[in-house]
Amino acid sequence: MAFAVIKGVAYCLFHAPDLLVTMGTTQRLERLKNPASEYLQQLKANLRSYPEAVSYAPNQVFIGNLWPEELAEMDRPWYNKPVADASPRGRFGDIVSEELLLGLIKFADSFELVCLEKDFQEEIKQKLTATGIFTSADFQDWKEGHTLAEIGHYLETAAAEPLYYQEQLKGCIRRAHDVDEVLNAQVMLENLVAKATGIWALRRLLQNTKTAGTEIDYVIEASEEACGDMNQRGGGNFAKAIGELAGLVNATGADIRSFCSAPAHALLVAAALVKAGIYRQVVVVGGGSVAKLGMNGRDHLKKGLPLLEDVLGAFALLVSADDGRNPVIRTDIVGRHRIGSGATPQAVMEALVVEPLQRAGLKLVDVDRYAPELQNPELTEPAGAGNVPWANYKMIAALAVLRKEIERTELEGFARRHGLPGYAPTQGHIPSGVPFLGFAREGLLEGKYQRVMIIGKGSLFLARLTKLFDGISFLIEPNKAEPGQERPDGGGFRTAMAAALRRVARELQGEEG
Amino acid sequence: MALDFKGKKLIILGDRDGIPGPAIEACLKNSGAEIIFNTTECFV
Repeated sequence: MAFAVIKGVAYCLFHAPDLLVTMGTTQRLERLKNPASEYLQQLKANLRSYPEAVSYAPNQVFIGNLWPEELAEMDRPWYNKPVADASPRGRFGDIVSEELLLGLIKFADSFELVCLEKDFQEEIKQKLTATGIFTSADFQDWKEGHTLAEIGHYLETAAAEPLYYQEQLKGCIRRAHDVDEVLNAQVMLENLVAKATGIWALRRLLQNTKTAGTEIDYVIEASEEACGDMNQRGGGNFAKAIGELAGLVNATGADIRSFCSAPAHALLVAAALVKAGIYRQVVVVGGGSVAKLGMNGRDHLKKGLPLLEDVLGAFALLVSADDGRNPVIRTDIVGRHRIGSGATPQAVMEALVVEPLQRAGLKLVDVDRYAPELQNPELTEPAGAGNVPWANYKMIAALAVLRKEIERTELEGFARRHGLPGYAPTQGHIPSGVPFLGFAREGLLEGKYQRVMIIGKGSLFLARLTKLFDGISFLIEPNKAEPGQERPDGGGFRTAMAAALRRVARELQGEEG
Repeated sequence: MALDFKGKKLIILGDRDGIPGPAIEACLKNSGAEIIFNTTECFV
């Protein structure tokens, strides 16, 4: 039975300190409720520079320059121990400056809502082209930029939102409708940022996997934003909007939503579509969340930390037909938090971890690494949310004790051996299991791991439609194809079959001649 | 020492990554308390 494979990944971060100040929900609400607050006055002095964000060890892990296991060996706190010679370019993706991010938002804008100052716009075009992710042809339709006077006019008269770089006004985003709240400047910025960061990650994925955009059949977008208008607020579709600007002319696509568990749902859907033979190559993509920038900033400043939630995250993953090489997504070993599963942490983990493994005749100790929510604890602990991945691992270990797979005294050791340190930014869907897929793929290819479980969990109750929780999980394993053997749907088989048919045809011609 | 919630009005603030609100409510089901508000927050 051929399963879909993980062919490649891309993970990118976008430094966004000015957006944190102007557009992060915590800061916006503070400005509304208490515009003269001490917190607001302290913000700018506590922002990190771009080099500081690049050299932050968890960020280096996210783009693939360090293994999570290496981070686990580093003493905390990490924020005051910059990684020497840190590069903004990793084998999975990039850490992008806010300067380029503003240009990227402009690139993602199909309705001329984003206005950049003209000199700044010209500079950014050159710099974006120099990254190798874009070419000059990408900007051939851009009109000349705006004067600061024009930008000021939009801010004063058209409910536009400002765009700053290093505290200097560089542009604005205008509303897309005069009365529709779902198309106001704030929502448009949030949606364009999700789109823009998704485009970068998708283009990087195509480079990483040496895949032409034309080869992709389907795109599933799995962020936490909603795009639409007042008659259909979540109408969609981010997937095709992102694919359009990454050259995926042969693809169609749609969005999947389930708060932080959406990427795991999307991966399973992608694997199912491929396994069913409907599509050969499916991309799962998710862009970043502006609203969550600086979400726990108040607590970070109280504890004397800088504003560490200053990056947007994005990922793109390529799920492909079995190539006989890449690790497979075991769609026959899937855990799901059922509607009737219950909300206690134990009930959730039993549904997501114990039940699928038990059904497959496996033990909890048979999984080398569990990848649940991988939030960086340096961001969550000061806010009182604890070390999220560690809490997950302790619960999985406790279940192993209950099942008599390990002794109670081994609980912490199990959690360390089968766990990972959190290294992803608190960007909702971004940390939820999927950041580890890149390392999992490499580790499974190299024989470092034999089995990895990806676990996505989501807070459905935040939408106030249900009090339910959500979660979904699946196993990834090495491809069991023998060396040199390709699956029946692989290109090698088709080539061999074509050669055989040509040989038969020649022989038949020879017989007739 | 067991806490006596009988006749008390309770506000439950659960944490998504700790103990969620519905789980706390289930524990207090037979305590005689009146749960007037129950929410679960998310900080991630």
